[in-house]
Amino acid sequence: MNDSESAKEVRAAVSRRGFLVTTGAALVAGAWRPALAAAQTAPAAIAGKEKLIVRSPRPVNLESKLEDLTAYHTPDDVFFVRNNLEAPTIDPAQWSLRIEGEVDNPVVLRLDDLKKLPMVSHDVVLECAGNGRAFHRPRASGIQWEHGAVGNAAWRGVRLADVLALARPRATAEHVAFDGLDRPPTPQAPDFIRSIPMWKATNAQTLIALEMNGTSVPPLHGGPARAIVPGFVGSASVKWLERIMVMTEEFNGFYMKSNYTAPRVDNEKEIYSLQSLEVKSLIVSPLDGAGVGPPGPTVVSGWAWAGEGELTGIDVSTDGGQSWAPGKFTGRGDRYSWRRWEFDWDAKPGTHTLMARATDSLGRVQPASRAFNRLGYRWNVIHAVKVYVA
Amino acid sequence: MWRRSALLGAALVGAAWSVASAQATPIPQTPGWELVMRCVMCHSVEIAVQQRLGPRGWSDTLDRMIKYGAPIPPPDKDVLMVYLLRHFRDPDGR
Repeated sequence: MNDSESAKEVRAAVSRRGFLVTTGAALVAGAWRPALAAAQTAPAAIAGKEKLIVRSPRPVNLESKLEDLTAYHTPDDVFFVRNNLEAPTIDPAQWSLRIEGEVDNPVVLRLDDLKKLPMVSHDVVLECAGNGRAFHRPRASGIQWEHGAVGNAAWRGVRLADVLALARPRATAEHVAFDGLDRPPTPQAPDFIRSIPMWKATNAQTLIALEMNGTSVPPLHGGPARAIVPGFVGSASVKWLERIMVMTEEFNGFYMKSNYTAPRVDNEKEIYSLQSLEVKSLIVSPLDGAGVGPPGPTVVSGWAWAGEGELTGIDVSTDGGQSWAPGKFTGRGDRYSWRRWEFDWDAKPGTHTLMARATDSLGRVQPASRAFNRLGYRWNVIHAVKVYVA
Repeated sequence: MWRRSALLGAALVGAAWSVASAQATPIPQTPGWELVMRCVMCHSVEIAVQQRLGPRGWSDTLDRMIKYGAPIPPPDKDVLMVYLLRHFRDPDGR
């Protein structure tokens, strides 16, 4: 069998089975040799995303470096990317969204239809449920995120509640499931579908976002239209929306019943599908291992967020957790954004361990440790950085 | 027939991918290494080898991938288990 014959065979297989999505696409385009050539180079940084750590090139998973998380609105070029499946290619002019299921008036909407609805903007922090997984002991399986699967952006779009109202959900409707245009690489693998309860779907700040930080949502971040479910784990904010299913029960699929679940605190034998983010803070200045100087007044700063809670305090320790003093929140904030915090420190020469600990209106406090959970979620252990003052 | 051809084509592409990934993530060429091609048909090698797994974790993961269509018959699973545990076993892994 020569190359063109094998390419033809693969092409046929692709069309029959929907197998080999990425490489298949290159083959269908007649780019058999270029596809091989491209594959023989090291996984390249993604165009426009060169500053991020490549956790996986396929599907694309990219982590922000803490040193780049300096702005309240995280710019696109340093905003993390988490994909369970490969990102689809979408022509916005051909795109449409179906709302169906437990509704009296199923509708199909195009971008222009959405844009006729009232547009609103909210600053919302998105964090991957597995952010911090790399720190679990014993080790937890999954992408080994450290601190940087988090970012805060201005999301502009239409309220999901307004879109749902067009379809007239029935009284029995309790959950809303999002399906994106991303597809699993084999017919047997589960599609990425996540649902949220109706109380969250109809919250005024839950959006179908068309813009991120003032421009169309970039393709890697879910454009032309993605869900933004503020306060929930990032996976709830499904990208590349294609279909919204109104349901009587939580969606019964792998990404609700197996992945993105954790043992219940009151009964470890039972698991629940993750909803709210934890209360959490990060120190972004100074960075771990930094030299700080000259000694004297030094600002320690970072970000804090609290999912469905509201931040009520940020405490900072400069002696490895022996004593704590309150920091202050500074700058702007939205109900579900992260908040910048600062702490004025009189830095004395020597080695110091700085720590930050946020608290929220739900009575949650960042813990000193986190019970192991197999999939490595809920990591909000107090962040500590070691610095050298000279 | 097409099924076998698809696998052949996939393995060719997979081979290229494993070469690609080998430059960033070493895939030691000890017995069983070629079976990694069956994994990279669908995802990067990085996704697999960064998992912090032990024997049970790798076995469960391979079973799930086989359920999802990974072309790994039982004898090959055993070979792959040995390979993965030799090179990608985390002492703290499950």
